[in-house]
Amino acid sequence: MVIRITGLTKQYGSIRALDRVSFDVRPGEVLGVIGPNGSGKTTLFECIGGVLPFDDGRIESESQSLFYLPDGIGPWPAQTVSWALRYIEGYFGAPAGMRDALIAALSLEPLLNKRIGHLSKGQRKRALLAIGLLTSRQVLFADEPFDGLDLRQTREVAQALRSFTRDGRTLVLSIHQIADAARVCDRFVLLSGGTIRGAGTLPELIALASERQQASIAGLEEAFLALT
Amino acid sequence: MPSRSAAIVWLFAKEWRELLASRAWWVMLVVMGPLVGMSFISAVTAYGELSGANGTAEGVGQAFSPLTGIWAPTFSACELAAAFLLPFVAIRLVSGDRQSGAMKIEMQHSLSSFTRISVKATMLMLGWLIATAAPLLGVALWASYGGHIDAPELLSVFAGHVLNGGLTIALAATAAALTEHPATAAIVTLTVTVGTWLINFAAAVNGGWWERAAAFTPTAMVAEFQRGLVRADIIIAAAVLIFLGLALAAVWLRIGSSVAQRARTSVALVAMAAVAIAGAVRVRASWDVSEGRYNSFSRADEVAMRTIHGELKVRAHFAPEDPRRSDLEYRGMRKLRRAVPHADIEYVSKTSTGLFEQTNDQYGEISYELDGRKVVSRITTAEGVRDAVFAVANLQLGPNSSEDDEFRGHPLAATPRGAGAIFYGIWPVITAALAVFIQWRSA
Repeated sequence: MVIRITGLTKQYGSIRALDRVSFDVRPGEVLGVIGPNGSGKTTLFECIGGVLPFDDGRIESESQSLFYLPDGIGPWPAQTVSWALRYIEGYFGAPAGMRDALIAALSLEPLLNKRIGHLSKGQRKRALLAIGLLTSRQVLFADEPFDGLDLRQTREVAQALRSFTRDGRTLVLSIHQIADAARVCDRFVLLSGGTIRGAGTLPELIALASERQQASIAGLEEAFLALT
Repeated sequence: MPSRSAAIVWLFAKEWRELLASRAWWVMLVVMGPLVGMSFISAVTAYGELSGANGTAEGVGQAFSPLTGIWAPTFSACELAAAFLLPFVAIRLVSGDRQSGAMKIEMQHSLSSFTRISVKATMLMLGWLIATAAPLLGVALWASYGGHIDAPELLSVFAGHVLNGGLTIALAATAAALTEHPATAAIVTLTVTVGTWLINFAAAVNGGWWERAAAFTPTAMVAEFQRGLVRADIIIAAAVLIFLGLALAAVWLRIGSSVAQRARTSVALVAMAAVAIAGAVRVRASWDVSEGRYNSFSRADEVAMRTIHGELKVRAHFAPEDPRRSDLEYRGMRKLRRAVPHADIEYVSKTSTGLFEQTNDQYGEISYELDGRKVVSRITTAEGVRDAVFAVANLQLGPNSSEDDEFRGHPLAATPRGAGAIFYGIWPVITAALAVFIQWRSA
């Protein structure tokens, strides 16, 4: 276990965005937090990333071990991708050679001299993933890492993300496209209405869903629908 | 994780690039030229006309001081820029990170929020200092005309505008941190600026506590430096306000804390600042760096006045809007406060204009009391105040008491040659070309 979340609760006025959410993150895995829009994924990630205060619960992690990469941001729009990567490398102290490896893995070479503010949504997403991975934190929480990517790009990025778990890093991805999640994740946490509806590997979730539905469940999509 | 210092160096590099990418800063830089040019050219023209073709006329030496004749008007462009241009540069730099989401990335580093905002403020101050190159160019031009430069006077005016820039940056940073949108931050900043003008207006009408508060508004602070008076209380109060602004900005930019937590910290910070400023107000140390000793009695008079140990009580019966009151204040009382720091000086009036108090016999009187003795005078000049103080304190007026260090002035019958071309042409063209070149190179 690299991170343990216990009873995490977040309230926005009368709305309970997260209700006693608990799960573990294991070393070296790709964990997918799956849920429809508005299920509380971003709130959960922001609480874990320290961006939002939460009302109750506990997050146990090694200090400085996690990094939260938000969705929908375009940091330093006037700066080039190349400079932003050098900045993050220096600011967070990335190991030598990691920047070049990420540029190659995420096909960023043609974008290096472009300003971040001029990138398309998909290009910006790839640059942001490189930024997140460059922080060299042990666990990366990435919010919607495949949003804005086409099928080919999604596959490339999924492959790149997987390759970065081989050296012991852990990825937690918030995903609303179930097909994308099935392609890249080792385990899944199903979140709906701010509560956890199931957690485990694909066979474990299928077994759980089949048991609840008293019927045969074929894949992650059906398991998700059955459990949420 | 890199060393803390390496991360700070990278932050400085980033903020510098962000400043260079800021169109607001370039616009301010371009506009500074014509703004300074207008005031410099009219100041030199007026100075030259008053100096005549062949030097000064006797008795008007004060009119020929570069401090009031050249530096104050030339640098006044900085006051305009600090009120209407610099806030937008600061807000852009602070709000930009929040708007773009960069803050969520950078704040995940162990560096404190205060360190981050301090780096930003330092870079903004550098940007402000670069903008003040325009009036410094005016200084160089003045020197090239053969004009006199007194370094302490010039430094005093410059320091006033640096402090004012610091206050503006701190205020804009607070506004940008407290509000979600840069436009709201701009409105808040301008509202505070207009609010300080209202305090000045209320001080002129009502006197009393308004007057004391008005002494610490940016306009009044700059004015003191422009008169060549460096006051410790003003410097301390400004430093406290700058620190408070940056600390509040750091609190409200910090991620992961609740609004209640931030509000509690803010209240504690404001309370601490209020205590510090209340303490600063009691500090009486000040330095008159003006060559013409505009803020002091003559050295001999001051030496004599320092022997007054009892409580000197001065009651001046003038309404706030009575022009004699400002005469008395600027010619006499501010000098008396410096010479006799423990003097208890108070203005007394029942109305703001004094128009209907003229029938009261006491109106217009200035009473001086010391150790049971009392002297009443109606003279509002420096000499009148000095004579009354000497009389009530039983001091002997020495020969040439006020003439021992009389300032003779530095007349210069010069025309602002080349200033128009530099400020209206070369400066805007070079800064605009630099802006385009730097934006193009970074793309």
